[in-house]
This record gives sequence, structure tokens and C-alpha cells, in this order.
Amino acid sequence: MENILNNAIALALIGHVLLILIPLWRVVRGQSPVDRLLGVELASVLILCVLVLIAMFTGQDIYMDVALIVAALSFIGTLALAKYLADQRMF
Amino acid sequence: MEATLDPVLQVIALLAIVVGSFFSLIGVLGFVRLPDVYTRLHAAGKVSVFGAALLALAAVAVGSLGLGKALVLIALLVIAGPAVSHALASAAYRTGVPMTNAMRDDLARRRGRSLPFAQPSDPSSDLPV
Repeated sequence: MENILNNAIALALIGHVLLILIPLWRVVRGQSPVDRLLGVELASVLILCVLVLIAMFTGQDIYMDVALIVAALSFIGTLALAKYLADQRMF
Repeated sequence: MEATLDPVLQVIALLAIVVGSFFSLIGVLGFVRLPDVYTRLHAAGKVSVFGAALLALAAVAVGSLGLGKALVLIALLVIAGPAVSHALASAAYRTGVPMTNAMRDDLARRRGRSLPFAQPSDPSSDLPV
């Protein structure tokens, strides 16, 4: 049972890393600036998933803290950029 | 990995990983396939709320994450996801990103500034909202 779980975590990890490339491709080729911002936001959420999976795979808890920080910072960053795009000025 | 992990937790972790990965796959697939920004926002929201939250749940089951920290992560994701989607949708609408084959645009009628592509729906065709 143990190695089934390990294989599942490894497979999910590889899958998520490959999944990150798709939003990044949309960031490069996006139609509208909001499209590209959405690609960045989706890529950061997938990076968060990869961090959680790395924490499970290696068993070190430090990656969980990194995941928490990535979640908080990407949320604030995307909000600030969305407001900048909407109003053309930051404050 | 820890050796002593009773099978129930392992099964929960396995199920959470599989379902979480399925949701993030569907989210990214929707992100690629859907025609315009607004529908793509719908797909992107799934990944953050369901995919990462289920993976955090699996991390709790595996034991590499304290329950408190996992609840903070899941709460952050569940709160942040919709807020970011709303901010992006209003940014897209205000910068005039067109909606492909939009049935009706309620916001245009109420705000009086209708975008070139959106014709305000005539009141007679309104749903009894």
C-alpha cells in the first residue's frame, strides 16, 4: 500500500509540473492582457500544488510553508495587477 | 515516507490525490478550450479551490502537514479563488474584453455604458428574476 501511495504522489507531481506549461504558453500568446494575467494566476496555483506534492513526496514540512507563502503572495499580486489593468493606475 | 501509516489514511490520501489531480486537469483543460476570458475564469477557479484544497487534504492524511496549517491553506485558497476571479472578471469587463456569442449583458443595461459588442437585452425577454 505504501509504494502505491508513493507512485501516486510521484505521478501527480509529474503531471502537475507538465500542467504548468499550458498556462505559461497562454501567458506568452495571450489574446488580451487579462488573459495573460489569468495564465499567470493559474500557473501560480499549479506551482502551489507542485509544492504540496513535493512536501508529501519528500516528507519535509518546510515545503508546506513555502506553499502557504506562494498562495498568499500570488493572491495579492494578481489582485494588484487586476486593479492596475482595470483603472490604469495603482492607487 | 513514514512506515507506520494505517491503511485508512493511505486510502483517503490516495483518493484525495487522484480527485485533486483530476480537478486540476479539468481546470487546465477548460482554461485552454473555453472561448473567452470570462468562461476561462470559471475553469481557472476550479483548479485553485478544488485541486489544491484536496491535495492539502491528502497532505494532512499523509501526515506531512499539521491539521492547523492545512486548514489555513485551504481557507486561504477557498477565500482567494473567488476573489481573484471576480477581480479579473471586472478588470476584463472594464478594459472591454469582448464576450464571444454573449446571450445577454445585464451590466451594460444597468451601467448605461454599453460596450460595442453587447446589446442591452430588451426587458420583455428578461427571466422572472
